[in-house]
Amino acid sequence: MTKPAEIEVSGLRKVFHQTGTGEAVVAIERLDFRIRPGDRVAIVGQTGCGKTTFLNILIGLDEPTEGRITIGGRKPYEHFDDFRGVLAAVFQQDRLLLWRTALDNVRLPLELLGRPPREQEERARAWLDRLGLGAFEGAYPHELSGGMRQRVALARAFVIEPALLLADEAFGHLDEVTSASLRKSFVELAQTEGNTAIVVTHQLEEAIEMGGRIIVFGRPGHVLADINLATYPADKLGRLRLDIQQMLQTNAPDPEMASLTATEPA
Amino acid sequence: MSVAGETVKKEPIAGEAVAALAARTSFRFPRELVIGLVVFALAWEMLSWIVPPFVIPGWRRIFTSLVELPVDFVLITLARVAVALLLSFALGLALAVAMYLWATFERYARPIVRLFMAVPVICWILFAVLWFKSVEFRIGFVLVVTCAPVFLIDALDGMRGVSKDLRDMLRSFRPTSAQFFTKLVLPATVPVIITSWKINLSLAIRVVTIAELVGAVSGIGYGLTIAQELFSIADVFAWTLVLVAILFVAEGVLIAIETRMLRWRT
Repeated sequence: MTKPAEIEVSGLRKVFHQTGTGEAVVAIERLDFRIRPGDRVAIVGQTGCGKTTFLNILIGLDEPTEGRITIGGRKPYEHFDDFRGVLAAVFQQDRLLLWRTALDNVRLPLELLGRPPREQEERARAWLDRLGLGAFEGAYPHELSGGMRQRVALARAFVIEPALLLADEAFGHLDEVTSASLRKSFVELAQTEGNTAIVVTHQLEEAIEMGGRIIVFGRPGHVLADINLATYPADKLGRLRLDIQQMLQTNAPDPEMASLTATEPA
Repeated sequence: MSVAGETVKKEPIAGEAVAALAARTSFRFPRELVIGLVVFALAWEMLSWIVPPFVIPGWRRIFTSLVELPVDFVLITLARVAVALLLSFALGLALAVAMYLWATFERYARPIVRLFMAVPVICWILFAVLWFKSVEFRIGFVLVVTCAPVFLIDALDGMRGVSKDLRDMLRSFRPTSAQFFTKLVLPATVPVIITSWKINLSLAIRVVTIAELVGAVSGIGYGLTIAQELFSIADVFAWTLVLVAILFVAEGVLIAIETRMLRWRT
């Protein structure tokens, strides 16, 4: 696995222009923060706060209007190919290739990296086994349940041992039991493998369960709070969920929480 | 990498997934097809009892003609269709790939393709008779100019129809351009291409018959011309039966290929 690198988000701004009218829509107002190698970060915020836009820029699928994101000093959208095998994403929908079996879906990233076929197969099979899908390696996506498909998507992300693992609302659309089970898998696997893991979600439970750092996005994209759960006062943890909820509703930082948060300026 | 870490708790095996795996297709007798054909044959035979045989000949007359038909005419027509379809497919797919890769080329080429598709088959046949001396070239020209645009437009639409979600998923793994095309775009287009083959097969058999009617000295179309000149209605029906049988068998082969290639579909 490539060594995880520091992520620096500096003066990031993203403006879209509506097709037809050309009207400007601000998706991200301004973002500044750092993520240390190996951190587990949950980004929470209401719909339309620029979470997915941020993640797309981080993946390199989109470019900022102003500012920058760097991973280990390089911009993923400019040095696109430098991040081959470095990052992997799990999306809201599993995005499996329907014509490939579970095993072939998991081996896909290894094929793209040009790994030998035998290695591809062994590693893909090992990850499917690890995620409890060994008996279904020959199944096509339509033969699997939603939770199983998302597990395959997880295996596909983990199989290349990415230094940076990203999840975009990856578990929210599943039922609560499956969602919790997959979140647990994700966190456990990220911990075991030592990846930097960033989860984008609108569900506070999910963010808190990640157990690392929570960055709360206001609308349009700016940081309302940057909370390190490890250093957050234990007596305040009980009402953390309510405090974040209130912040999201008012779309303004909580002065009391601001004094407790662990924002790291870029 | 070793993936010998602790196995994540297995999700209970989903019943529907097991059922889906168990339900993978086996041969099914085409009962409806057989019954439909038998009913049609009986109705035809009864009609032949009340209508003069030079209008509706009975099955005995038709089968007598059928066994006397020159087999080489059938093989010649089949060869013409097969070669022309393969050429049309190669040409259509190559142009579709070029139009997919180069937008400027597409902007210029698409109107011309549409123009070709708007020209009636009979006009192409007349052009071919006026332009070319070789009978085989005439027939081949008419078939290719009729079928290639269908392959082209279908394949191009299939390529353009690959969802953004899947494109983004694959791009996040940083494929090369060739990998992007061969791992995603082409496989995603296969269902459309198979449908295109079905459409073109039926089209080619009809077109080749008309082309042979006008300018050939061999083939099923030419056989039909002779039958018409001899006023042998039984021969006309026998040739028609051969054409229908060819279409049924060829479609059956295509459906078998489709079932095998698209077994990943629900």
